[in-house]
Parts: sequence; structure tokens; C-alpha cells
Amino acid sequence: MDALLTTTGLFKRFGGVVAASGVSLSLRPGEIRGLIGPNGAGKTTLVNLITGIYGPSGGDIRFRGESLVGLAPHQIARRGLLRSFQVCRLFGNLSVAENLLVADLARGAHAFAETRQRAARARELLDITNLARLADQPAKALSGGQRALLQVACGFMVPELRCYVLDEPFAGINPVIKDAIVELIRQANEQRGIAFLIVSHEMPVMRRLCHGVSVLMDGHIVSEGTLDEVAAHPQVIAAYLGKSWA
Amino acid sequence: MPARLTGHAGALRDAAFALPVVLLLAAMPLVTGAYLLHVLTITLYYVILAASWNLLAGYTGQFSLAQQSFAAVGAYGSGLLIKYFAFPLWASIPCGVVAAALLGWLLGRMVLRMHTIYLAIATWAFAETIHIVLTAAYQITRGELGLSVPALYSNVRPEAYYYTFLGLASASLLLMHLLIRSPLGYFMRAIRDDELRAESMGIDTTRVKVMVFTLSSAFAGLAGAFYAHYTIVLSPQMADFGEMAKLIIMVVVGGLGSFMGPLIGAPPVQIAMTYLARYGEWDMVIFALIVIVLMRTTIGGIVPLAGRAWSRLRPRRGTA
Ligand SMILES: Nc1ncnc2c1ncn2[C@@H]1O[C@H](COP(=O)(O)OP(=O)(O)OP(=O)(O)O)[C@@H](O)[C@H]1O
Ligand SMILES: [Mg+2]
Repeated sequence: MDALLTTTGLFKRFGGVVAASGVSLSLRPGEIRGLIGPNGAGKTTLVNLITGIYGPSGGDIRFRGESLVGLAPHQIARRGLLRSFQVCRLFGNLSVAENLLVADLARGAHAFAETRQRAARARELLDITNLARLADQPAKALSGGQRALLQVACGFMVPELRCYVLDEPFAGINPVIKDAIVELIRQANEQRGIAFLIVSHEMPVMRRLCHGVSVLMDGHIVSEGTLDEVAAHPQVIAAYLGKSWA
Repeated sequence: MPARLTGHAGALRDAAFALPVVLLLAAMPLVTGAYLLHVLTITLYYVILAASWNLLAGYTGQFSLAQQSFAAVGAYGSGLLIKYFAFPLWASIPCGVVAAALLGWLLGRMVLRMHTIYLAIATWAFAETIHIVLTAAYQITRGELGLSVPALYSNVRPEAYYYTFLGLASASLLLMHLLIRSPLGYFMRAIRDDELRAESMGIDTTRVKVMVFTLSSAFAGLAGAFYAHYTIVLSPQMADFGEMAKLIIMVVVGGLGSFMGPLIGAPPVQIAMTYLARYGEWDMVIFALIVIVLMRTTIGGIVPLAGRAWSRLRPRRGTA
């Protein structure tokens, strides 16, 4: 099957630090792929490169057959590739419901008139996430876990979503909300065929969700396969020495 | 359909706030003398100007310090076209508005990548440039001597001007209200809260910011052009930074980023400043003190304060 998202030989240098040194990664349509690696491995940098926050110093990114290099973040988003941020970002003064609505409006002028569909989608997501009773609260009033949940949920407002890149969506979140996020991801994957690239250290969750994982170390992919396969890789063992993988 | 998902709740609340204020203002000529009516007419000019700045600073987070220059451009644009090209009023005023909008577009393009203090300094420099040009090009603008322009109406009844400005302010606020409730309004507030996230979700933040600069400048230009033909003598004073400071005070006292803020904030500030003017240079000092006290106590202006009081009252009524 043709790849949905491919990076080939991505390079990114910050002064003396090489945060990506030839990252080649491929995601099939409808695939859920985990991206793991120690702190500072370059995971967030890769996410920022894919979504146009940084321009690569070298290499190419192709999404649905088209190069994303040189496109602005909003242009990439409108092609159906969205992301969440490791440090949760929301529109703090907008209400929970408005955060969802604006995600839909952001698709472009063609979405403006679809008021009814937009409200219906928002209502559905509010119910699924259990945020309905907080719908009118400003997003900044939510708890950390609720904010993380809302941040991920916003992407599902977009019907054109094909690939969702999540940067540490489970970090520091209680098990109930973690399950809610897992459920959102699984549903979107099964019902809408959305592909995911999930950066996470949460091995139990990754085991439940991911079809495969890629291991990023020092700016490049050192191993790929199922979680158990990569766990047997010597470099991975060295990096995660002493850590239990559930 | 629930109101919060379609946005009607906020619209109704704003209308419930605005209607009594507009009715009260409409009744003013019945009870006030000519001088107070003049003060109120000027106040309405500031309401439009302050509200136009609120679009930029309050709703979009672009803390521009050049709003007064667009009023001046609207005023001088209209005045100069009449003086040198014998434009009729009905054509010169729209031209003044367009000139202000174009210049706003230009400024928006120039400061696109700037934030916070850098944006403030760049827009301040832009405004000072306009101020200096208006003063220095005295062969054209007559500088400090003042540019005489024709009056809007041949009669001098103050009520006519008052109602003109009331109509202008109401129409402007209504348009701004529609703008804020439109998708563009959502994008503005999204950019204010988190520009990077807005961009990452598909919002063309560059375009939105330039649009807001343009529209906000057009409103300022409109206010300025009408102001020109009310005061009938234009001075570069209009483009002075003191005017901008006044707008900031008005908006902050009323509530930055709240729709009713400028409408609630402008009258007390303008009226107080008019009557404090007899203390000469001290008026600004007195004012600064009042503002500091207000900011320390109400946190965020009168309108948000009223909003909090209102929402504290409501649930009690429900549970009683
Ligand atoms: N904007 C930047 N400027 C300079 N250096 C940067 C920048 N962003 C990342 N780096 C550097 O690039 C390297 C990779 O950082 P990155 O944030 O991508 O790692 P990560 O894998 O996401 O780590 P973590 O697990 O802690 O989130 C680090 O050495 C970091 O200091
Ligand atoms: Mg990271």
C-alpha cells in the first residue's frame, strides 16, 4: 500500500545541536505508529518538522504524494495533517465548546456555512469526552488532564483529518482520562481510518494502541517493528536499561 | 440547538447591554445643554476609535500604538481632497476611510512577524512618523496653523451632529459585533490566545492579522473623517501620542477585549478629562492615578467586573 506520510533523510540543526540527522520514517494510511526514544532524542523536533513549524535543513517530507517542505503550518493542517503539542496548547479564553468550533472553522471558508454539522460534531465530542458540563467554561479553567483531552479532541472536529501527530498525549495524565484519549484514538482509527503518529513513553498504552513503533535516538531511527521486536534491540535495551516495559 | 454551540447567547447578552445604553444616549439631547452635548459628541468619536483599537489589541492581541494616526489620516484625507481637488463631502469621506484602510493594511504587513513590545515600538514609530509628516508638510497640511475644512451641515444645531455621531457609533459597533461573532472573530481571539496553535490548526494567521489591521484602521478613519467635518479645523494634534494614551485608558477602564468595554469606558474618561483640563498638565497625572486605582481594584475593567457580579447573582436566583 502507498505510504500516507514519508520523511526521507530529514536533517535539522540548531547551532551545534543536530536534532534530526537523517530521519526516515513512513506511515501507511490507517496505521497507528508509536514513536519512542529517550529525552532529547529529537521526537518533538521531528513533529515540528513534519507540521511546518521548522523548515528542515535537508531531506523531504511527503504527505499523500505531495512534498510539505516550504509549506506554512496552516497549509499543512488544511491538507489533513494535524498535531497536538507536548506542552498542552489551547485557546485559554475561549470556552471549551468554542475551542472545538474554532478547530472546525479553521478548515477554511468552505466550512463556515456548515453550522449545524459543526454543532453536531462538537456536541458528540463533548459527550464522548465527558466535557459537556464544562462546555461554557473557558479552557484555561480546565484541569491538566481535561486540557490534554480537549487538545486531542479538537483535531477530531476536522472531517478532512487523515493523519494526526500526537506529541506525548498521555504524559502526566490520570488513568481515566488516559483511557478516554485512547478510546478517542481507537474510534477515529477504526471508524474514520485516520492514521496516527504517537510520541509517548507510556509503554502499556503504546502496546494497546500501536500497530508498530519506531525508535528515535540521537536524531535518527535506530529500530522499527512491534514493541517486543524493538525492545530486543541492543541499542534500545541500552537506552532504556533497567526500565520495565510492562 | 444549544445556544453555546451556535453563539447566540453572547449576542443576546451584548444586545441586552447595548440597547439601554444607546436609548439613554439617544435621550440625552432632551436633558442636556449645548456644551455637554458637544462633549458627548466628541465622546462618541472616541467610542468608535476605542472600539476599533479594541479589535486589534483586545480581540487579536496586537498591541498597536498607532490607532490615532488612522483617525488623522481619515480626517486629513477627506480635508485635503476637498481643499485641493474640490471633492464633495460624500466622496471625500469615503476616500479618507479608504486611505486609512490602505495605510492600516500597509502597517499590518510591516509588523506581521512582530510581537508584544516590538510590535508596540514599531507601531509607535509609525504613528510618530505620521504625526511629524502632518506637522512638517505645512505647505500642504498647514501644520500647526490648522487646516480648515467644511462643516458636515450648513446649520449649526448641535443635536444634528450628536445624532450623526450616535448613528455612526451604533452602526460601527453593530458591524464590529457581527465581525466578532463571525469566523474571523473566532480566529482573532484564537490568535490572541495562542498564535502558534491557531496556525497549526489551519488558520492563516498572517491573513487574519492583516485583515484586522485594515478593518480596524478603516473604522478609525471613518471616525476621523466625520470628526474633521464636525470640528472644521484640523490640527496634527489628532495624531499625537496623547490621543493613543487616551484610547488605551478608555478601553482598559471599560474592559480590554470585552465588546462593551469601549462604550462603557469612553464616556467617563472623556468627560472627566474635559473637566480636568482646567488643571492643565496635571490632568494626565490625575488620570493615571484613577486608572491605577481602577486596575488594582476591578482587575480587567468595568465590563468584566459587571459580568462577574452578574454571574454571581444568577445562580443564587436559580437555587433560591
Ligand atoms: N528550538 C530549538 N533551538 C535549539 N535547540 C533545540 C530546539 N528544539 C530542540 N532543540 C534541541 O534538539 C534536541 C532534541 O530536542 P527535542 O525536543 O526534539 O527532543 P524530544 O525527543 O522531544 O525530547 P523529550 O522527550 O524531552 O520531549 C535537544 O538537544 C534540544 O535541546
Ligand atoms: Mg518532546
